[in-house]
Amino acid sequence: MPTHLLGLNTWLDGLVRVLLVVLLMTVTAMLLIWAERKLLGRFQARIGPQRTGPFGLLQSVADALKLIGKEDLRPRNADAWTFELGPYLVFVPIFLGFVVQPFMAGFHIRMLDLGILYFVAVSSVSIVGWVMAGWGSDNRYAMLGGLRSAAQSISYELPFVLSLLSVALLAGSLNIDDIVVGQAGVPNIVWQPLAFMIFFIAALAELNRAPFDIPVGESEVVGGPFVEYSGIRWSMFFLGEYAGLFITGVFVSAMFLGGYAWPFGLQLGIGFQLLLTALKASLLIFLVIWIRGSMPRLRIDQLMGYSWKVLLPLALAQVVVNGFVLVYGLPRIVLTIVGLAGVVFLVWVTERAVRRPRVPRPAAVALGSEAAS
Amino acid sequence: MRGLAKSMLTTLSVFMRPPVTRNYPNVHRPLPERDRAFPLLLWDKDIDEPFCTGCHACERACPVECMTVLMKDNPNHKSVGGTSSRRKIIDKFWIDYARCMRCNVCVEVCNFDAIAMNNTWSGHETAVHDRKDLVMDLPQLLALSRGGAIQEWVPVLGKANEA
Repeated sequence: MPTHLLGLNTWLDGLVRVLLVVLLMTVTAMLLIWAERKLLGRFQARIGPQRTGPFGLLQSVADALKLIGKEDLRPRNADAWTFELGPYLVFVPIFLGFVVQPFMAGFHIRMLDLGILYFVAVSSVSIVGWVMAGWGSDNRYAMLGGLRSAAQSISYELPFVLSLLSVALLAGSLNIDDIVVGQAGVPNIVWQPLAFMIFFIAALAELNRAPFDIPVGESEVVGGPFVEYSGIRWSMFFLGEYAGLFITGVFVSAMFLGGYAWPFGLQLGIGFQLLLTALKASLLIFLVIWIRGSMPRLRIDQLMGYSWKVLLPLALAQVVVNGFVLVYGLPRIVLTIVGLAGVVFLVWVTERAVRRPRVPRPAAVALGSEAAS
Repeated sequence: MRGLAKSMLTTLSVFMRPPVTRNYPNVHRPLPERDRAFPLLLWDKDIDEPFCTGCHACERACPVECMTVLMKDNPNHKSVGGTSSRRKIIDKFWIDYARCMRCNVCVEVCNFDAIAMNNTWSGHETAVHDRKDLVMDLPQLLALSRGGAIQEWVPVLGKANEA
Protein backbone atom coordinates (compact mmCIF):
# COMPACT_ATOMS: atom_id res chain seq x y z
CA MET A 1 0.00 0.00 0.00
CA PRO A 2 1.50 3.34 -0.98
CA THR A 3 1.36 5.70 1.94
CA HIS A 4 0.08 9.20 1.49
CA LEU A 5 2.32 12.14 2.19
CA LEU A 6 1.27 14.28 5.13
CA GLY A 7 -2.11 12.51 5.25
CA LEU A 8 -3.33 14.28 2.13
CA ASN A 9 -6.09 12.81 0.01
CA THR A 10 -5.11 10.87 -3.08
CA TRP A 11 -5.42 13.68 -5.61
CA LEU A 12 -3.54 16.25 -3.55
CA ASP A 13 -0.93 13.62 -2.73
CA GLY A 14 -0.46 12.93 -6.41
CA LEU A 15 -0.17 16.63 -7.14
CA VAL A 16 2.48 17.11 -4.44
CA ARG A 17 4.46 14.18 -5.80
CA VAL A 18 4.33 15.51 -9.36
CA LEU A 19 5.44 18.91 -8.13
CA LEU A 20 8.28 17.27 -6.22
CA VAL A 21 9.45 15.50 -9.37
CA VAL A 22 9.34 18.62 -11.52
CA LEU A 23 10.95 20.93 -8.98
CA LEU A 24 13.64 18.52 -7.83
CA MET A 25 14.57 17.56 -11.36
CA THR A 26 14.75 21.12 -12.62
CA VAL A 27 16.81 22.33 -9.69
CA THR A 28 19.18 19.35 -9.81
CA ALA A 29 19.60 19.71 -13.55
CA MET A 30 20.53 23.37 -13.13
CA LEU A 31 22.96 22.57 -10.33
CA LEU A 32 24.49 19.79 -12.41
CA ILE A 33 25.03 22.13 -15.35
CA TRP A 34 26.86 24.48 -12.99
CA ALA A 35 28.81 21.59 -11.44
CA GLU A 36 29.80 20.22 -14.82
CA ARG A 37 31.03 23.58 -16.03
CA LYS A 38 32.98 24.15 -12.83
CA LEU A 39 34.52 20.67 -12.85
CA LEU A 40 35.32 20.69 -16.55
CA GLY A 41 36.95 24.04 -15.97
CA ARG A 42 39.18 22.58 -13.33
CA PHE A 43 39.98 19.57 -15.51
CA GLN A 44 41.16 22.02 -18.15
CA ALA A 45 43.05 24.25 -15.67
CA ARG A 46 40.40 26.96 -15.97
CA ILE A 47 38.11 28.43 -13.33
CA GLY A 48 34.69 28.02 -14.89
CA PRO A 49 31.73 30.29 -14.28
CA GLN A 50 32.39 32.70 -11.42
CA ARG A 51 30.72 36.02 -12.11
CA THR A 52 27.06 35.14 -11.55
CA GLY A 53 26.38 34.85 -7.84
CA PRO A 54 28.74 33.23 -5.34
CA PHE A 55 31.10 30.86 -7.22
CA GLY A 56 28.93 31.40 -10.30
CA LEU A 57 26.15 29.36 -8.75
CA LEU A 58 23.48 31.37 -10.52
CA GLN A 59 25.01 30.72 -13.96
CA SER A 60 22.27 28.24 -14.87
CA VAL A 61 19.59 30.71 -13.77
CA ALA A 62 21.13 33.37 -15.98
CA ASP A 63 21.30 30.91 -18.88
CA ALA A 64 17.72 29.83 -18.34
CA LEU A 65 16.48 33.42 -18.33
CA LYS A 66 18.42 34.13 -21.49
CA LEU A 67 17.06 31.03 -23.21
CA ILE A 68 13.47 31.83 -22.21
CA GLY A 69 13.93 35.30 -23.65
CA LYS A 70 15.13 33.98 -27.00
CA GLU A 71 12.90 33.56 -30.01
CA ASP A 72 11.52 30.06 -30.48
CA LEU A 73 12.42 29.59 -34.12
CA ARG A 74 11.04 26.92 -36.41
CA PRO A 75 12.50 26.38 -39.88
CA ARG A 76 9.98 26.88 -42.67
CA ASN A 77 10.39 23.34 -43.99
CA ALA A 78 10.27 21.70 -40.58
CA ASP A 79 7.56 19.19 -39.83
CA ALA A 80 5.64 21.33 -37.33
CA TRP A 81 4.26 18.69 -34.99
CA THR A 82 7.33 16.48 -34.96
CA PHE A 83 9.64 19.42 -34.49
CA GLU A 84 7.70 21.01 -31.67
CA LEU A 85 6.95 17.84 -29.77
CA GLY A 86 10.43 16.31 -30.03
CA PRO A 87 11.94 18.08 -26.99
CA TYR A 88 9.02 17.09 -24.78
CA LEU A 89 9.48 13.46 -25.73
CA VAL A 90 13.12 13.73 -24.79
CA PHE A 91 12.69 15.11 -21.31
CA VAL A 92 9.30 13.83 -20.12
CA PRO A 93 10.39 10.14 -20.09
CA ILE A 94 13.47 11.08 -18.11
CA PHE A 95 11.28 12.85 -15.57
CA LEU A 96 9.10 9.75 -15.46
CA GLY A 97 12.18 7.68 -14.68
CA PHE A 98 12.62 9.78 -11.54
CA VAL A 99 9.41 8.34 -10.12
CA VAL A 100 10.90 5.01 -9.06
CA GLN A 101 14.28 6.19 -7.78
CA PRO A 102 14.98 5.16 -4.19
CA PHE A 103 16.38 7.99 -2.09
CA MET A 104 15.74 6.66 1.38
CA ALA A 105 13.95 3.81 3.09
CA GLY A 106 10.20 4.02 2.79
CA PHE A 107 10.02 7.08 0.59
CA HIS A 108 9.64 7.19 -3.17
CA ILE A 109 7.55 9.19 -5.48
CA ARG A 110 6.06 5.75 -6.22
CA MET A 111 7.46 2.33 -5.37
CA LEU A 112 6.68 -0.12 -8.14
CA ASP A 113 7.08 -3.88 -7.93
CA LEU A 114 8.30 -3.86 -11.52
CA GLY A 115 10.47 -0.82 -10.92
CA ILE A 116 13.40 -1.88 -13.11
CA LEU A 117 11.13 -2.83 -16.00
CA TYR A 118 9.33 0.50 -15.66
CA PHE A 119 12.58 2.44 -15.57
CA VAL A 120 14.05 0.67 -18.58
CA ALA A 121 10.82 0.98 -20.58
CA VAL A 122 10.27 4.63 -19.78
CA SER A 123 13.83 5.81 -20.22
CA SER A 124 14.14 4.33 -23.69
CA VAL A 125 11.12 6.31 -24.92
CA SER A 126 13.29 9.38 -25.22
CA ILE A 127 14.97 7.83 -28.29
CA VAL A 128 11.71 8.60 -30.08
CA GLY A 129 12.09 12.22 -29.11
CA TRP A 130 15.64 12.33 -30.48
CA VAL A 131 14.61 10.81 -33.77
CA MET A 132 11.61 13.14 -33.99
CA ALA A 133 13.82 16.15 -33.36
CA GLY A 134 16.27 14.93 -35.97
CA TRP A 135 13.64 14.16 -38.59
CA GLY A 136 11.37 17.12 -37.92
CA SER A 137 14.13 19.71 -38.28
CA ASP A 138 14.48 18.97 -42.01
CA ASN A 139 18.22 19.36 -41.68
CA ARG A 140 20.78 16.79 -42.78
CA TYR A 141 22.97 17.20 -39.74
CA ALA A 142 19.99 16.93 -37.45
CA MET A 143 18.76 13.79 -39.20
CA LEU A 144 22.20 12.18 -39.11
CA GLY A 145 22.38 12.98 -35.42
CA GLY A 146 18.91 11.60 -34.78
CA LEU A 147 19.68 8.37 -36.63
CA ARG A 148 23.00 7.99 -34.83
CA SER A 149 21.20 8.54 -31.56
CA ALA A 150 18.65 5.87 -32.40
CA ALA A 151 21.31 3.37 -33.48
CA GLN A 152 23.40 4.02 -30.40
CA SER A 153 20.55 3.93 -27.91
CA ILE A 154 19.07 0.75 -29.33
CA SER A 155 22.46 -1.00 -29.35
CA TYR A 156 23.35 -0.01 -25.84
CA GLU A 157 19.89 -0.73 -24.53
CA LEU A 158 20.71 -4.46 -24.74
CA PRO A 159 23.82 -4.64 -22.53
CA PHE A 160 22.14 -2.04 -20.30
CA VAL A 161 19.09 -4.23 -19.74
CA LEU A 162 21.04 -7.50 -19.55
CA SER A 163 23.37 -6.21 -16.86
CA LEU A 164 20.33 -5.01 -14.92
CA LEU A 165 18.82 -8.43 -15.43
CA SER A 166 21.80 -10.13 -13.85
CA VAL A 167 21.42 -7.90 -10.80
CA ALA A 168 17.72 -8.60 -10.64
CA LEU A 169 18.42 -12.34 -10.91
CA LEU A 170 20.71 -12.14 -7.96
CA ALA A 171 18.26 -10.14 -5.86
CA GLY A 172 15.29 -12.22 -7.01
CA SER A 173 13.22 -9.10 -7.51
CA LEU A 174 12.49 -6.32 -9.97
CA ASN A 175 11.55 -3.94 -7.18
CA ILE A 176 14.32 -1.36 -6.83
CA ASP A 177 13.64 -0.94 -3.13
CA ASP A 178 13.99 -4.70 -2.52
CA ILE A 179 17.28 -4.70 -4.39
CA VAL A 180 18.62 -1.86 -2.26
CA VAL A 181 17.49 -3.48 0.97
CA GLY A 182 19.09 -6.75 -0.15
CA GLN A 183 22.44 -4.96 -0.37
CA ALA A 184 22.48 -3.95 3.29
CA GLY A 185 25.35 -6.39 3.89
CA VAL A 186 27.40 -6.41 0.71
CA PRO A 187 26.78 -4.14 -2.30
CA ASN A 188 26.12 -5.76 -5.64
CA ILE A 189 29.31 -4.42 -7.17
CA VAL A 190 31.21 -7.06 -5.17
CA TRP A 191 29.19 -9.89 -6.71
CA GLN A 192 28.76 -8.31 -10.13
CA PRO A 193 31.82 -6.22 -11.04
CA LEU A 194 31.47 -7.08 -14.72
CA ALA A 195 27.79 -6.18 -14.81
CA PHE A 196 28.66 -2.90 -13.11
CA MET A 197 31.24 -2.03 -15.74
CA ILE A 198 28.95 -2.98 -18.60
CA PHE A 199 26.08 -1.08 -17.06
CA PHE A 200 28.18 2.00 -16.49
CA ILE A 201 29.51 2.03 -20.05
CA ALA A 202 26.06 1.42 -21.48
CA ALA A 203 24.61 4.15 -19.28
CA LEU A 204 27.21 6.59 -20.62
CA ALA A 205 26.07 5.70 -24.12
CA GLU A 206 22.39 5.97 -23.20
CA LEU A 207 23.02 9.44 -21.83
CA ASN A 208 24.95 10.46 -24.96
CA ARG A 209 27.85 11.43 -22.73
CA ALA A 210 31.48 11.51 -23.80
CA PRO A 211 33.08 9.37 -25.14
CA PHE A 212 29.77 8.26 -26.64
CA ASP A 213 28.48 11.73 -27.54
CA ILE A 214 28.42 10.84 -31.23
CA PRO A 215 24.81 11.99 -31.88
CA VAL A 216 25.57 15.49 -30.65
CA GLY A 217 29.21 15.72 -31.78
CA GLU A 218 29.81 19.36 -32.63
CA SER A 219 32.72 18.63 -34.93
CA GLU A 220 30.85 16.01 -36.96
CA VAL A 221 27.14 16.80 -36.99
CA VAL A 222 27.26 20.36 -35.56
CA GLY A 223 25.20 19.44 -32.52
CA GLY A 224 23.04 16.75 -34.10
CA PRO A 225 19.31 17.06 -33.44
CA PHE A 226 19.80 20.39 -31.65
CA VAL A 227 20.90 22.26 -34.78
CA GLU A 228 17.61 23.93 -35.57
CA TYR A 229 16.40 24.43 -32.01
CA SER A 230 16.66 27.63 -30.06
CA GLY A 231 15.42 29.15 -26.85
CA ILE A 232 13.26 27.15 -24.51
CA ARG A 233 13.02 24.02 -26.67
CA TRP A 234 16.78 23.81 -26.93
CA SER A 235 17.08 24.14 -23.18
CA MET A 236 14.66 21.22 -22.77
CA PHE A 237 17.19 18.88 -24.36
CA PHE A 238 19.78 19.97 -21.85
CA LEU A 239 17.35 19.76 -18.98
CA GLY A 240 16.71 16.20 -20.11
CA GLU A 241 20.39 15.40 -20.46
CA TYR A 242 21.35 16.57 -17.00
CA ALA A 243 18.23 15.18 -15.35
CA GLY A 244 19.19 11.88 -16.99
CA LEU A 245 22.69 12.18 -15.61
CA PHE A 246 21.30 12.68 -12.10
CA ILE A 247 18.84 9.82 -12.39
CA THR A 248 21.51 7.49 -13.73
CA GLY A 249 23.75 8.41 -10.81
CA VAL A 250 21.03 7.57 -8.32
CA PHE A 251 20.02 4.43 -10.19
CA VAL A 252 23.54 3.02 -10.45
CA SER A 253 24.17 3.73 -6.79
CA ALA A 254 20.93 1.90 -5.95
CA MET A 255 21.62 -1.06 -8.25
CA PHE A 256 25.30 -1.65 -7.59
CA LEU A 257 26.60 0.48 -4.74
CA GLY A 258 23.97 -0.36 -2.16
CA GLY A 259 21.98 2.86 -2.37
CA TYR A 260 20.94 4.07 1.06
CA ALA A 261 21.40 0.66 2.70
CA TRP A 262 25.14 0.12 2.45
CA PRO A 263 27.47 0.47 4.42
CA PHE A 264 25.50 1.72 7.44
CA GLY A 265 22.49 -0.59 7.28
CA LEU A 266 18.84 0.30 7.31
CA GLN A 267 18.77 1.73 10.83
CA LEU A 268 20.45 4.94 9.71
CA GLY A 269 18.40 8.12 10.10
CA ILE A 270 16.31 9.16 7.11
CA GLY A 271 18.30 12.34 6.51
CA PHE A 272 21.59 10.45 6.53
CA GLN A 273 20.21 7.91 4.07
CA LEU A 274 19.38 10.77 1.73
CA LEU A 275 22.91 12.13 2.17
CA LEU A 276 24.41 8.71 1.51
CA THR A 277 22.45 8.34 -1.72
CA ALA A 278 23.41 11.87 -2.75
CA LEU A 279 27.07 11.18 -2.00
CA LYS A 280 27.18 7.99 -4.06
CA ALA A 281 25.32 9.64 -6.93
CA SER A 282 27.67 12.63 -6.79
CA LEU A 283 30.72 10.38 -6.96
CA LEU A 284 29.33 8.65 -10.03
CA ILE A 285 28.45 11.96 -11.66
CA PHE A 286 31.95 13.19 -10.90
CA LEU A 287 33.31 10.10 -12.61
CA VAL A 288 31.14 10.75 -15.66
CA ILE A 289 32.33 14.36 -15.88
CA TRP A 290 35.91 13.23 -15.34
CA ILE A 291 35.57 10.81 -18.24
CA ARG A 292 34.11 13.59 -20.35
CA GLY A 293 37.13 15.71 -19.57
CA SER A 294 39.56 12.96 -20.57
CA MET A 295 38.27 10.87 -23.45
CA PRO A 296 38.12 11.63 -27.15
CA ARG A 297 34.94 10.79 -29.02
CA LEU A 298 34.56 7.32 -30.56
CA ARG A 299 33.92 6.67 -34.24
CA ILE A 300 30.44 5.40 -35.05
CA ASP A 301 31.69 1.97 -36.20
CA GLN A 302 33.82 1.59 -33.07
CA LEU A 303 30.80 2.50 -31.01
CA MET A 304 28.47 -0.04 -32.59
CA GLY A 305 31.15 -2.71 -32.70
CA TYR A 306 31.96 -2.25 -29.03
CA SER A 307 28.34 -2.71 -28.06
CA TRP A 308 27.49 -5.70 -30.23
CA LYS A 309 30.80 -7.56 -30.26
CA VAL A 310 32.07 -6.94 -26.74
CA LEU A 311 29.50 -5.72 -24.25
CA LEU A 312 26.51 -7.75 -25.37
CA PRO A 313 28.21 -11.20 -25.32
CA LEU A 314 29.81 -10.44 -21.98
CA ALA A 315 26.50 -9.31 -20.51
CA LEU A 316 24.83 -12.46 -21.82
CA ALA A 317 27.59 -14.59 -20.34
CA GLN A 318 27.12 -12.85 -17.01
CA VAL A 319 23.40 -13.68 -17.04
CA VAL A 320 24.19 -17.33 -17.83
CA VAL A 321 26.78 -17.54 -15.05
CA ASN A 322 24.31 -16.00 -12.61
CA GLY A 323 21.74 -18.60 -13.66
CA PHE A 324 24.17 -21.47 -13.03
CA VAL A 325 25.20 -20.11 -9.66
CA LEU A 326 21.61 -19.63 -8.55
CA VAL A 327 20.26 -22.92 -9.88
CA TYR A 328 23.06 -25.12 -8.54
CA GLY A 329 23.42 -23.13 -5.32
CA LEU A 330 27.14 -22.45 -5.83
CA PRO A 331 28.82 -20.12 -3.31
CA ARG A 332 28.56 -16.46 -4.26
CA ILE A 333 32.31 -15.99 -4.25
CA VAL A 334 32.24 -17.79 -7.62
CA LEU A 335 30.33 -14.78 -8.98
CA THR A 336 32.99 -12.39 -7.77
CA ILE A 337 35.80 -14.44 -9.28
CA VAL A 338 34.02 -14.91 -12.60
CA GLY A 339 33.06 -11.24 -12.60
CA LEU A 340 36.61 -10.05 -11.97
CA ALA A 341 37.87 -12.41 -14.68
CA GLY A 342 35.24 -10.86 -16.95
CA VAL A 343 36.47 -7.35 -16.10
CA VAL A 344 40.03 -8.37 -16.91
CA PHE A 345 38.81 -9.86 -20.20
CA LEU A 346 36.87 -6.68 -21.01
CA VAL A 347 39.92 -4.54 -20.34
CA TRP A 348 42.08 -6.85 -22.44
CA VAL A 349 39.64 -6.80 -25.36
CA THR A 350 39.42 -3.03 -25.20
CA GLU A 351 43.20 -2.74 -25.04
CA ARG A 352 43.52 -5.02 -28.08
CA ALA A 353 40.93 -3.00 -30.00
CA VAL A 354 42.69 0.25 -29.14
CA ARG A 355 46.12 -1.04 -30.18
CA ARG A 356 45.02 -2.68 -33.43
CA PRO A 357 46.21 -0.60 -36.38
CA ARG A 358 43.38 0.78 -38.46
CA VAL A 359 43.24 -1.05 -41.78
CA PRO A 360 40.90 0.51 -44.32
CA ARG A 361 38.50 -1.97 -45.89
CA PRO A 362 39.19 -2.88 -49.57
CA ALA A 363 35.99 -1.15 -50.70
CA ALA A 364 37.03 2.04 -49.01
CA VAL A 365 40.47 1.82 -50.60
CA ALA A 366 38.91 1.37 -54.03
CA LEU A 367 36.62 4.35 -53.49
CA GLY A 368 39.55 6.42 -52.33
CA SER A 369 41.61 5.64 -55.44
CA GLU A 370 38.60 6.39 -57.66
CA ALA A 371 38.22 9.74 -56.01
CA ALA A 372 41.91 10.41 -56.49
CA SER A 373 41.96 9.57 -60.19
CA MET B 1 43.45 0.94 -22.31
CA ARG B 2 46.74 2.11 -20.94
CA GLY B 3 46.23 5.27 -22.96
CA LEU B 4 42.77 5.73 -21.47
CA ALA B 5 44.10 5.34 -17.94
CA LYS B 6 46.88 7.77 -18.72
CA SER B 7 44.44 10.36 -20.01
CA MET B 8 42.28 9.99 -16.91
CA LEU B 9 45.32 10.44 -14.66
CA THR B 10 46.46 13.48 -16.62
CA THR B 11 43.12 15.22 -16.23
CA LEU B 12 43.06 14.27 -12.55
CA SER B 13 46.46 15.80 -11.93
CA VAL B 14 45.34 18.96 -13.73
CA PHE B 15 42.21 18.92 -11.58
CA MET B 16 44.29 18.83 -8.41
CA ARG B 17 46.43 21.78 -9.41
CA PRO B 18 45.08 25.32 -9.08
CA PRO B 19 43.78 26.80 -12.35
CA VAL B 20 46.23 28.82 -14.40
CA THR B 21 43.57 31.39 -15.22
CA ARG B 22 44.41 34.87 -13.87
CA ASN B 23 41.44 36.33 -12.07
CA TYR B 24 42.11 39.53 -13.97
CA PRO B 25 39.36 42.09 -13.40
CA ASN B 26 39.12 41.08 -9.74
CA VAL B 27 42.84 40.83 -9.03
CA HIS B 28 45.37 43.11 -10.71
CA ARG B 29 48.80 41.65 -11.23
CA PRO B 30 51.53 44.02 -9.96
CA LEU B 31 53.04 45.85 -12.90
CA PRO B 32 56.80 46.22 -13.45
CA GLU B 33 58.11 49.70 -12.69
CA ARG B 34 59.12 50.19 -16.33
CA ASP B 35 55.65 49.29 -17.56
CA ARG B 36 54.84 51.68 -20.37
CA ALA B 37 51.24 52.86 -20.68
CA PHE B 38 50.31 56.41 -21.74
CA PRO B 39 52.45 59.52 -21.09
CA LEU B 40 51.73 61.70 -18.07
CA LEU B 41 53.09 64.97 -16.70
CA LEU B 42 54.97 64.96 -13.41
CA TRP B 43 54.41 67.28 -10.48
CA ASP B 44 57.27 69.09 -8.73
CA LYS B 45 56.33 68.63 -5.10
CA ASP B 46 59.12 70.90 -3.76
CA ILE B 47 57.77 74.00 -5.47
CA ASP B 48 54.22 72.77 -5.97
CA GLU B 49 54.00 73.28 -9.72
CA PRO B 50 54.51 71.08 -12.80
CA PHE B 51 58.02 70.28 -13.96
CA CYS B 52 56.94 71.05 -17.50
CA THR B 53 57.98 74.42 -18.92
CA GLY B 54 56.02 74.01 -22.12
CA CYS B 55 59.16 73.93 -24.29
CA HIS B 56 57.42 71.98 -27.12
CA ALA B 57 60.28 69.45 -27.36
CA CYS B 58 57.90 66.53 -26.92
CA GLU B 59 55.30 68.03 -29.23
CA ARG B 60 57.86 68.40 -32.00
CA ALA B 61 59.30 64.94 -31.43
CA CYS B 62 55.96 63.14 -31.25
CA PRO B 63 55.74 60.88 -34.35
CA VAL B 64 51.94 60.73 -34.31
CA GLU B 65 51.37 64.36 -33.31
CA CYS B 66 49.11 63.56 -30.41
CA MET B 67 50.22 66.47 -28.24
CA THR B 68 49.27 70.13 -28.06
CA VAL B 69 51.33 72.39 -25.78
CA LEU B 70 50.86 76.04 -24.80
CA MET B 71 53.45 77.95 -22.72
CA LYS B 72 53.01 80.98 -20.44
CA ASP B 73 55.13 83.19 -18.15
CA ASN B 74 55.41 81.62 -14.73
CA PRO B 75 53.36 83.71 -12.26
CA ASN B 76 55.36 82.11 -9.45
CA HIS B 77 58.82 83.09 -10.81
CA LYS B 78 61.39 84.68 -8.50
CA SER B 79 61.41 87.85 -10.64
CA VAL B 80 57.82 88.51 -9.66
CA GLY B 81 58.37 87.53 -6.03
CA GLY B 82 57.60 83.81 -6.33
CA THR B 83 59.54 80.74 -5.25
CA SER B 84 60.16 79.04 -8.60
CA SER B 85 63.22 79.31 -10.78
CA ARG B 86 61.20 78.40 -13.92
CA ARG B 87 60.76 81.50 -16.05
CA LYS B 88 58.23 79.82 -18.33
CA ILE B 89 55.71 77.20 -17.36
CA ILE B 90 53.07 75.03 -19.00
CA ASP B 91 49.74 76.75 -19.64
CA LYS B 92 47.68 74.14 -21.44
CA PHE B 93 48.56 70.60 -22.45
CA TRP B 94 46.47 68.04 -24.30
CA ILE B 95 47.44 64.48 -25.17
CA ASP B 96 45.11 62.45 -27.37
CA TYR B 97 45.41 58.93 -25.90
CA ALA B 98 43.47 57.56 -28.85
CA ARG B 99 46.29 58.67 -31.12
CA CYS B 100 49.30 58.04 -28.87
CA MET B 101 51.26 54.92 -29.76
CA ARG B 102 53.23 54.76 -26.50
CA CYS B 103 56.60 55.05 -28.24
CA ASN B 104 58.34 56.75 -25.28
CA VAL B 105 59.97 59.37 -27.56
CA CYS B 106 58.44 62.28 -25.60
CA VAL B 107 59.97 60.97 -22.37
CA GLU B 108 63.38 60.64 -24.00
CA VAL B 109 63.46 64.11 -25.52
CA CYS B 110 62.20 65.94 -22.41
CA ASN B 111 64.93 68.21 -21.02
CA PHE B 112 63.26 68.60 -17.62
CA ASP B 113 62.18 65.01 -16.85
CA ALA B 114 58.69 66.47 -16.80
CA ILE B 115 56.91 63.70 -18.70
CA ALA B 116 56.82 60.00 -17.91
CA MET B 117 54.98 56.89 -18.98
CA ASN B 118 52.13 55.82 -16.69
CA ASN B 119 53.22 52.64 -14.94
CA THR B 120 49.94 51.90 -13.13
CA TRP B 121 46.87 49.95 -14.18
CA SER B 122 45.00 53.20 -14.76
CA GLY B 123 47.07 53.61 -17.89
CA HIS B 124 45.81 50.32 -19.31
CA GLU B 125 42.14 50.39 -18.41
CA THR B 126 41.19 53.43 -20.41
CA ALA B 127 37.98 52.27 -22.10
CA VAL B 128 35.51 55.12 -22.67
CA HIS B 129 32.21 55.44 -24.47
CA ASP B 130 33.26 58.42 -26.58
CA ARG B 131 36.58 58.75 -28.37
CA LYS B 132 36.70 62.45 -27.40
CA ASP B 133 37.02 61.43 -23.75
CA LEU B 134 40.49 60.12 -24.53
CA VAL B 135 41.85 63.61 -25.09
CA MET B 136 43.43 64.41 -21.72
CA ASP B 137 43.88 67.99 -20.52
CA LEU B 138 46.45 69.36 -18.09
CA PRO B 139 44.69 68.63 -14.76
CA GLN B 140 43.99 65.05 -15.88
CA LEU B 141 47.59 64.56 -16.98
CA LEU B 142 48.95 65.86 -13.69
CA ALA B 143 46.44 64.23 -11.35
CA LEU B 144 48.19 60.86 -10.90
CA SER B 145 51.62 62.29 -10.23
CA ARG B 146 50.19 64.96 -7.93
CA GLY B 147 48.33 62.27 -5.98
CA GLY B 148 51.54 60.24 -5.65
CA ALA B 149 50.28 57.22 -7.60
CA ILE B 150 53.13 57.19 -10.10
CA GLN B 151 56.28 55.43 -8.97
CA GLU B 152 59.15 57.31 -10.49
CA TRP B 153 61.52 55.03 -12.31
CA VAL B 154 65.19 55.53 -11.44
CA PRO B 155 67.56 54.24 -14.12
CA VAL B 156 69.91 51.46 -13.07
CA LEU B 157 72.87 53.66 -14.00
CA GLY B 158 71.59 56.43 -11.73
CA LYS B 159 71.17 53.98 -8.89
CA ALA B 160 74.75 52.84 -9.35
CA ASN B 161 76.01 56.44 -9.22
CA GLU B 162 74.11 57.11 -6.03
CA ALA B 163 75.62 54.14 -4.30
